[in-house]
Amino acid sequence: MYPAPIDRYSAPATLGEALALLAGAGDDTLCIAGGMSLMQAIKARTVKPRHLIDLNGVAELAGVRAAPDGVSIGAMTRYTEIARAPELRGAYEALCDAAAHVGDRQVRNRGTLGGSLCWNYLAACSPPTCLALGASIELAAAGGRRSVAIDEFLGTPLETARRPDEVLVAVRLPPAPPRAGSAYKKWGLVTDALPVLGVAVFLQCDASGACTAARVGVGGLAAGPKRAAATEQALVGCRAADTERIAAAFAAGAAGLPLQSDIWATTEYRQLLFRDLGTQVVATAFARASGGQ
Amino acid sequence: MDTRISVTVNGVRHDRQVPIRLLLVDFLRDHLALTGTHVACTYEGVCGACTVQLDGKAVKSCMLLAVQANGRTVTTIEGLAKDGRLHPLQEAFNEHHALQCGYCTAGILMNAEEFLREHPRPTDDEIRHALVGNLCRCTGYAHIVEAVRDAAAKLR
Repeated sequence: MYPAPIDRYSAPATLGEALALLAGAGDDTLCIAGGMSLMQAIKARTVKPRHLIDLNGVAELAGVRAAPDGVSIGAMTRYTEIARAPELRGAYEALCDAAAHVGDRQVRNRGTLGGSLCWNYLAACSPPTCLALGASIELAAAGGRRSVAIDEFLGTPLETARRPDEVLVAVRLPPAPPRAGSAYKKWGLVTDALPVLGVAVFLQCDASGACTAARVGVGGLAAGPKRAAATEQALVGCRAADTERIAAAFAAGAAGLPLQSDIWATTEYRQLLFRDLGTQVVATAFARASGGQ
Repeated sequence: MDTRISVTVNGVRHDRQVPIRLLLVDFLRDHLALTGTHVACTYEGVCGACTVQLDGKAVKSCMLLAVQANGRTVTTIEGLAKDGRLHPLQEAFNEHHALQCGYCTAGILMNAEEFLREHPRPTDDEIRHALVGNLCRCTGYAHIVEAVRDAAAKLR
């Protein structure tokens, strides 16, 4: 594996410089973030950029910031930092779960949230997790900025709503509601590798501990990351102790998901994984919503 | 297309003209003759043998271009021993027989060195989790875990 020739390499120091470089650039110009997916594609020559714009030097794109209007995660924030970000504990801790088990240490030291979302690989952990958390994706181009809901941002695998002249600037999460918790868990054949299935859940509870709203994101689907609408509805009213009802919510939701059969697992096995991982992440999310774990 | 880069490797600054498509691992091995950094897979980023530290962080050098290290600091296995003395991790690997063929060892040491800076008192589970990105096909990892644990104690 060795890259095809690359004519130009730019290392902008600011977002403005990066956007100026991107403005009017052709299809053969690509931004590189952590490169943990893109470099594989470049080395395999499935992608042959002539001009690479390296975002690793753009300091303003990195870091997790909490403010009264919510939490903002810069696109170039690396998994290592996300995994231990105190700003995400509790309501948005699913992102810490996902980041802590992406690939391996070396990958987490380099890989970024924004890069993963823009690549939108079908087995990636960040897309279904951000889907469950109801994130907004902030995009910038030389002509201005826009914000897109994660549900609209993520397309089919390897496709997103990002235009070629745009840079994903930040992932924004609204101020955490009271008594909210989230969790993510995946299962694969190799520890921490790309999973066969990953499930993220975000729960809001009332003062009595009953779920008032839920979002469920599923990764590992050939069709791309999806929400499990039937499961989300069936989780409303559940309490942490309602284990059978929670399992039933995932069993019911599995029927509405495009769970494919492939060399890694059959549809039936994926249904079982969805239910099993789902009940586990719901238990963790309930505990986090109540201030535990 | 070639471009000029300046990279500080093991404390020595190197100014070189390199193709943009040159991988960092090949820059280290072929241009700087630092062949302690190995390639054990076919540059797929799966084996971890090419792990070096970029500004102190363990990364796989087959997953970066050399131009991305411009202006940065790289530490390779050749930079681990200081003043003719092995690093405590290297001593522990020797004492615990934590290698057989040795092909993966440089990458493991460069990863483990940063890991122990971050986790001075690791549990065995944490050590094993830290080694996920480094394939060793000889040892079965038991002696590697022992060596990392022992080095952690010596470094404290």
